[in-house]
Amino acid sequence: MNASIIGQMAVSGALMGLVYALIAYGFQLTYATSKSINFGQGELVMVSAFFSLTLTNLGLPYWLMVPGGLLFGALLGLVVERAGVRLALEQKGEGWILLTIIIGLFFFSAAENIWGRDDRPFPTPISADPIHVLGVDITRIELSVAVGVLAIMGLVELFKRRTLLGKAFEAVSADRDAAELMGISATRTVMLSYGLSGSVAALAGILVSPITTVGPTMASALILKAFSVAVVAGLDSGFGVVLVGMFLGALESLASFYLGSGWREAPGLVLLILALALRPTGVFGKATIRKV
Amino acid sequence: MLQVEDLHAGYGASEVLIGTTLTVKQGSLVALIGANGAGKTTTMRAISGGLKPSRGRVVLDGQEVQGLDASRIARLGLAHAPEGRKVFGPLSVEDNLLLGAYGRLPRFFGFRAKAQADLDRVYDLFPKLRDRTKQAAGTLSGGEQQMLAIGRALMARPKVMLLDEPSMGLAPVIVQEVFRIIRRLKEEGITLLLVEQFAKSALEVADYAYVMERGRIAVEGTPADLSRNERVIAAYLG
Repeated sequence: MNASIIGQMAVSGALMGLVYALIAYGFQLTYATSKSINFGQGELVMVSAFFSLTLTNLGLPYWLMVPGGLLFGALLGLVVERAGVRLALEQKGEGWILLTIIIGLFFFSAAENIWGRDDRPFPTPISADPIHVLGVDITRIELSVAVGVLAIMGLVELFKRRTLLGKAFEAVSADRDAAELMGISATRTVMLSYGLSGSVAALAGILVSPITTVGPTMASALILKAFSVAVVAGLDSGFGVVLVGMFLGALESLASFYLGSGWREAPGLVLLILALALRPTGVFGKATIRKV
Repeated sequence: MLQVEDLHAGYGASEVLIGTTLTVKQGSLVALIGANGAGKTTTMRAISGGLKPSRGRVVLDGQEVQGLDASRIARLGLAHAPEGRKVFGPLSVEDNLLLGAYGRLPRFFGFRAKAQADLDRVYDLFPKLRDRTKQAAGTLSGGEQQMLAIGRALMARPKVMLLDEPSMGLAPVIVQEVFRIIRRLKEEGITLLLVEQFAKSALEVADYAYVMERGRIAVEGTPADLSRNERVIAAYLG
């Protein structure tokens, strides 16, 4: 066991962890405006990935397929908001929990029927050639994951800080009733957050698919990790999910290397339990997560 | 400019307002006073749409607005500086002000330039805010937050402004400052409905006043009338 292998494992894992961070970031976006999250978010990742694969198979070049996939993800996010979240929130109930799970199951069945149960490769123009950075090999695909995740999170954060619509998003997050008094429609802002969250999920699917392949169950492990990251980091720090995501990714990679691949899922669950026991608001969080 | 007729509203099964009726004429300052729990804040919330009235009418500049979403009523020209100020704590002072003008600004770019004249006007009125444009609103003192809440409401260039308990929880010196500003707003011709616990100060600035008791208007009149009304003196001015 030498240091370079450990470094290699940690870096690869951390880059994968950015995908968990991105999905967790999608939870944060909707939690901020509506205090609700989509428990079927993993299915959004998966269906968007299948849709993007179909676009590719139809001959669309990669750089056109990506915006197409993001748009599709946004649409799915709006469907979830309309069908699963809005009524429940208007009644100030917790019905969205069950409804978003059910919509997720529906998407899962739909995907199995439309695209089948097999895992399929996801073509990408980005080569798998490694580049050497400080004695560590990073494949270009892994690098594209990192660039894509940080770029979209950066864009969304810029949107929130620099545009009036983004500031309105922050205002609804801070005080929904006061925002309404400014003429900001909270309902539309929640829709916007679900649309953005759907796009973010779609991008996660597009970025990770070349590594994991596309299949109906591709997101079930991802989503568990994303939940762990969201809970450990807290539901209001974008910076927090990136750090925790990379940390968890690295830890997983090392655990599966040293303890065997069966232990891959262990660090996420251990972190989740530790966070819930020791710091339920998350390491970087201020908001309290309601226990339901 | 603003008419409220036979307004009923409440929380769940308990009805707080049982037929409130009042009128605010253009350019006038109307005060709404009364004991705690009489329904003053509920009246304000039912007017601005935070609470849906179960019965009655709210007419803003000739248009019925009862039952509309609060955001819609705000865009029709009603600005409500709510009880407890409710500034957006994590956002900067300037962002709070810009959001006050949300209804008439472009959503993406160029909104700051378009709002500059209104920002300058608010900063002239509240010089303390000019020194703190980048500061998070949540870190301001209570008095400064109240100035910000009023400034934010002004940014909308509203037809009618509702001011709910602007002096609540503030030191006496700051309360004087708040009333100086209310006078200034009145001089500028802004139509105001003011809810106040300091009945005496409110009557000094108001053109007309309503006294609320148990969900309805008990007495109304000019401040001079009310200052002679023995019931009002005993309950609120003594």
